[in-house]
Amino acid sequence: MIQSASLLESWTQENNQLASGCKLSPHVFLLLCLSLSGIPPHLDRAQLELSVVYNTCVCFTAQSQFDEAELLLTQTAQRLLQIAGDDPGTSDPSVLWRTALKSVTGTALHRRVLSLLCLQWGVWLAKSRLTAVQDFQEMSLLEAQSGAVWNDCRAETKEKISNIPILVLDPRRLVDLLKICTAIVQGAERLTEGWSVLSALQAASASPAPRALIAYTHLLSGSCLAHMNRPQMALQCYRKALETDPRCVCALYQSALIYSRLENSQAEIQALRILHSMLLLPSTTEPAMAAGRLLSPSLFLCSQSLSSLLSVPSALSVLHSLALKCVIHSRVSEGVECYLDLLAALQSEDQHGVRVHAVVSTLPKLPRLYLEAGAALLMARRPADCMALCDEVIGSTLDLLPEKVLLEDPVARRVAGSGEVTEEAENGLVRLLWTAAAYLLQGHCYSQLKDWKQAVTHYTRCINLLVKVHYKDTDKDPEQGVDLCVLQRLKGLSLAGRGISFAQIDRLREALRDLQLSRQAHPEGVSARRWYGEVLWRLDRKQEAAACWEQTWSNPIPSLSEALPVYAQELQSGPLLDSAELHQKLQELGPT
Amino acid sequence: MEKLSSDDSNRNVHGLSHGGKILLFTCKRDPAVSVRERSGLTFRSFYFEREGNAFLNATEGATVISRKPSAHVDIVTCKCAVDVQKRVKTAFVLVTKMSEKGSSFKYSLLALRSSHRLEPCIEFKLPYQMKGKVSILQGPTVMWSHDNSVSYTSPEAEGVRKIPIQMSKCLFGELPIQKGQLFALGLSEPLLANHSPTLGYLCEGGQAFDGSLVLPHPYICITQCMRVLTADRVDDVLRCTVVAATSNQQLVLFENGTVKDTCEVPFGQAEDIQMADTGRNGCLFVVSFNQGHVCAVWKETFQMASCWSDVDSAHVDDFLGCGTEQILLIFRNNGISSGPLEKFIITDLCGISYSCGQGSEAPKASLPPQENSLLTLQALESRLQSGLIVLQELEREVRVKDRVLQQSIQVLTDVLSGRETVLSQPEQEGLVALWDSDEESNDETPDDKLHETPALSSRPKIDKLWHRITEEQLVVGLILTADSAIPASGVSLSLLTEPGQNSTPAVIQTRSQVFWLPARGPSTPTLSSPSPGFAFSEPAAKRSRQHIASDDFSAGRLAVTAVTKLAPLLTSGCVKCRAMLHYAEKAEAVFPGSGPTTAVLHCGEVSLDIRNLCQKPLLQNPQIKTDEVREDLLSLLTVLDNWVLRIDSPDYSLGDIDGWIKRREGFKKIDVSPEYLLLDSPGSSAPMLLRWHQINPFQGDLSIHSSQLQMLQFLDSMLSYLPDSCFIQPVKRARSQSTAQKLACALEKEVLSLREGLSSLLCVKDEEERKERRAGHGETPDSGSAEDLVRCCREAWQQNVEKSRLRLNPVVDAGRYREMVQSISQVKMDSDLAALCQLNQS
Repeated sequence: MIQSASLLESWTQENNQLASGCKLSPHVFLLLCLSLSGIPPHLDRAQLELSVVYNTCVCFTAQSQFDEAELLLTQTAQRLLQIAGDDPGTSDPSVLWRTALKSVTGTALHRRVLSLLCLQWGVWLAKSRLTAVQDFQEMSLLEAQSGAVWNDCRAETKEKISNIPILVLDPRRLVDLLKICTAIVQGAERLTEGWSVLSALQAASASPAPRALIAYTHLLSGSCLAHMNRPQMALQCYRKALETDPRCVCALYQSALIYSRLENSQAEIQALRILHSMLLLPSTTEPAMAAGRLLSPSLFLCSQSLSSLLSVPSALSVLHSLALKCVIHSRVSEGVECYLDLLAALQSEDQHGVRVHAVVSTLPKLPRLYLEAGAALLMARRPADCMALCDEVIGSTLDLLPEKVLLEDPVARRVAGSGEVTEEAENGLVRLLWTAAAYLLQGHCYSQLKDWKQAVTHYTRCINLLVKVHYKDTDKDPEQGVDLCVLQRLKGLSLAGRGISFAQIDRLREALRDLQLSRQAHPEGVSARRWYGEVLWRLDRKQEAAACWEQTWSNPIPSLSEALPVYAQELQSGPLLDSAELHQKLQELGPT
Repeated sequence: MEKLSSDDSNRNVHGLSHGGKILLFTCKRDPAVSVRERSGLTFRSFYFEREGNAFLNATEGATVISRKPSAHVDIVTCKCAVDVQKRVKTAFVLVTKMSEKGSSFKYSLLALRSSHRLEPCIEFKLPYQMKGKVSILQGPTVMWSHDNSVSYTSPEAEGVRKIPIQMSKCLFGELPIQKGQLFALGLSEPLLANHSPTLGYLCEGGQAFDGSLVLPHPYICITQCMRVLTADRVDDVLRCTVVAATSNQQLVLFENGTVKDTCEVPFGQAEDIQMADTGRNGCLFVVSFNQGHVCAVWKETFQMASCWSDVDSAHVDDFLGCGTEQILLIFRNNGISSGPLEKFIITDLCGISYSCGQGSEAPKASLPPQENSLLTLQALESRLQSGLIVLQELEREVRVKDRVLQQSIQVLTDVLSGRETVLSQPEQEGLVALWDSDEESNDETPDDKLHETPALSSRPKIDKLWHRITEEQLVVGLILTADSAIPASGVSLSLLTEPGQNSTPAVIQTRSQVFWLPARGPSTPTLSSPSPGFAFSEPAAKRSRQHIASDDFSAGRLAVTAVTKLAPLLTSGCVKCRAMLHYAEKAEAVFPGSGPTTAVLHCGEVSLDIRNLCQKPLLQNPQIKTDEVREDLLSLLTVLDNWVLRIDSPDYSLGDIDGWIKRREGFKKIDVSPEYLLLDSPGSSAPMLLRWHQINPFQGDLSIHSSQLQMLQFLDSMLSYLPDSCFIQPVKRARSQSTAQKLACALEKEVLSLREGLSSLLCVKDEEERKERRAGHGETPDSGSAEDLVRCCREAWQQNVEKSRLRLNPVVDAGRYREMVQSISQVKMDSDLAALCQLNQS
């Protein structure tokens, strides 16, 4: 066999040259593959042929050409069966491989066939054919077989370096990678299944793998525990994920979500703050997972649920929620800073004309951001800045305001199907509410500055806008519900504000009327009720005032909530009534 | 060359191209006899006219093959070949006449001598009909295969010759060497040992050669037709380039018997390979297949250029007379048409294209080689991607710059407006703080302090004293009871000889080591504190509790060993050694504030007898859990060289190293101390102990107790398991030991040189004095009187007093003193350097 061996040798050399070359592409191997598959399969050449097919398929896989890889693998399995003289009579890959594997059991080819099978596994995994993957795991006793067989792989290579075809990727590394990727994908798909998934993930976290993937296993364990309602253990896992790989920002984001669920607002704010600063670091935005490696793990991690778990909102969204959280949880000055940062970032983006963050859409609309920032500034006692922001909002929306907004009955609307008209109406309503809120905030600003006349003017503008909305108060559509609620609140707040301002300039009758209307529009408004009592007191209707006050003691001003925009809630920015004084007044009245 | 016939047609037209013309041979039909019987041969030649875009008839001729009207005449094949005698390329046509009985077949090769005349060239008879492949090769030679053998005939050969070698799967062809070399290839039968299975045979020389120089062995069976492009004899070795079409739908190019290139073609069953030289654009292989498919493949790139179907015959020649060759494809004439050359294409696939009768189904636009466009696409795509990456990097940079600018502006405005810049705590520290990162600080650090905390200054109590002898070394070990709480740092064991043999007991040079045996039960000797393992997701409280339990050193026991060479001890038959324990007493108990004081305790005697030294290997049965086994283990740990290696793989976790070691052949767990693994294979000389301590998934410490060679061997095999990107470094402790040793050596040298220098200086003075004194003493006894005697005595006494005073305050020679000081300062400098190194290390 001298001459045929030389053919084999020259092919082996060619393979080795290609494999040790720096530029690996499937096409260079494919040519060799073609030569090898051009002649009838033979046991002598099978080792080389399988190695070349392996190299080719690895290159295909590295370039995401999974179909080509799979085709080649199936062809190879068929050729293997030709050698063995077997014919399963089907082209189902799993049956083919099963038979092929059986035919080479105990021979030197076994290891090579196994590594090809692993590539098939990778293709299945990359194509998210998880049932096939599971079948594969059950079918092959890969763990037991491969472990022992692959151990001496390196030793053999050393013995006869020229005769052994070089592989571009150590099959053991491939198996390691596929194992952990499979565990991750399966874990992500079956996150709700509890302990079984958890133990699989934990086993995976101890296996040899790139750092980022180990971090993912911890992350998924955490998510799994969170599903099992064990938030503290989940937090531990997220922490471990971060410790393992500091670039795993999704763990930080998930921790923030958990803290939010636990209502640990301080921790949540801290987590969001870190997340934001990490997102601004240039290196963290993309995981540099596969530097210098042939197969990137991301090839195999294409499950939908996994990517949703690994996704992190943009830096600006994080900044916004950080700002909102700060304002709501009475860290106003921090919140103000965050809002100003956010607005500055948005503005610079607009100026550059490039939307660096494509995910800006998760942010609320710009006017709403301005209004939220304005409310924060107002709470931080910076009325001038707040007014400037409100001017911006009014300037941009005032021209677009509809004359009148008529909200139809939702049932009727559905029947009529006049989608466009209602959409326009809704847009109009939204714009109108923004403008009204801007006026309201300006009214608050003036009342904070004790410029009561101006305050009255702005509250009045707000009220005038709000009364343009007509709607039938039937059962509330959940979509419109929020808008209507905001509308009612704005009405109540603006009336209350005007009433209080009137009271300050001693126009008590108007004050009484406005406060009364405010109580009707928004019965929960606390300051309106207190001031109502005050005005009554000043009008010398002391008994009524006392009764009114008595009511208000029981419910204090509610703290801010996330359900409604901040600017549509009571900000405690206006003139306050000294409760001690009120008590005194009541006591004076009491004995009488 | 190509059969221009479809089975259903009665005509038997064969065509060939010769000198830019197409020659068509037809068996003439005799109207007198039945349709199937023919007796004559007509030929027509056509040339192509560009203006008319058609072939025009040039000449016509006919010849009679058989006079007998009943003879069955048929054209077998026709081809152009070189007539060796006349040295011109001539068109040949091979016709067959079947005898009436059908038992013998008469063949005659006719040559077209001029444009009008067909002359018989060779005539021969065969007992069978040629059914396989028939070729007319240069000579002219007719070659055909029949029944696994190749036969040929030519004017020189005088009759039909058969190749004398038995072969299966025959192929034949000609080598384009100056004098045409006809050859046949086949698989030798039976297979000869040490001989290539592919046999070649040269017809002219009649010699056999290694056929795999032409075609590699696996290809013989699947090759359907082949063509030798170049051939050369270099040092009597054939070198040739061959192109072959295989049954696996491939066209393969071979160079000297190895595959050079492969091209997939869409059809199988190739019948002929021709080559067309299109001039500057390179050469084309024109491969004709069964069922009328034709494929053109570029020779340079070995990529498919074009393919056609429904082709009747393909010819290569310079039909246009332009100096380069074109392909002529004559298509099948399905309809009723008059001439044979109605539908054709003349093309060279790079500019020249004439077609006729193709109409709408005009030449399929020559497919651009798919691979080429694919490569172009890939190149474009990669350029696009690299461009994108550059863009992204730029954007990222811009983002960072913007942020820096914004922050600086913020700070500037703050400064201008007099506000104080507020930096958050993590920002100030340049840190990214986790919310609850301070919950449990380093409770996992090995706490050496714990070892030293027990503050009782009681004397240690000895549990057991034992000794082992292994490979010319004596190991003496001592286990202290659990309640003897002394710090492990100052403990060592030394051996003294028995005072009975010498006047004073001498210290034997030993090496001492200390081990912790944590608990009474299943004890594990550890050199450092054991790790609490990689506990997963347990609540912090639970974990720390467990940690305390496992690190409870107050319950641990201390083992001290000393090892020394056996041979120097055994100079006398029986040796008794005293074992002395050195330990540091907790100093605060005695004098608060002062350093620890050392204490010595005599703990027993070890007696050895040279006559009954038992040399049994240690730790033969690691599965047993007895004190003896534990002592064996301690002895081994003492005797064997120790390396501690830190394995660090920053971006790829290490996985289950412990499991990998256990899975290796020969490694057994030691039950007394399950952390250690023992390799005691019969082949290797010394046993090997391993301990793997995982710090985190990316780091671990490996302690190896073995010989250096074994350690290297083990590390080598371990490297194949470890990730490529990992670092292996000896742990600092090992290195600091070496610098400590260096320092000790330097100090020792310093002391020695100081002592030697001084003593030599003083000794020289003493010598001089002694000489002087001897001279003085020689004078004194001569004098007679008592007074003189007294005076002399007094002088001598005074001199003595003076001398002793001088000896107490010696005066030395300045030069010598300078020399000595110089050498000592040199030594001192060396030791200072060593001390500095040591300081840097620690």
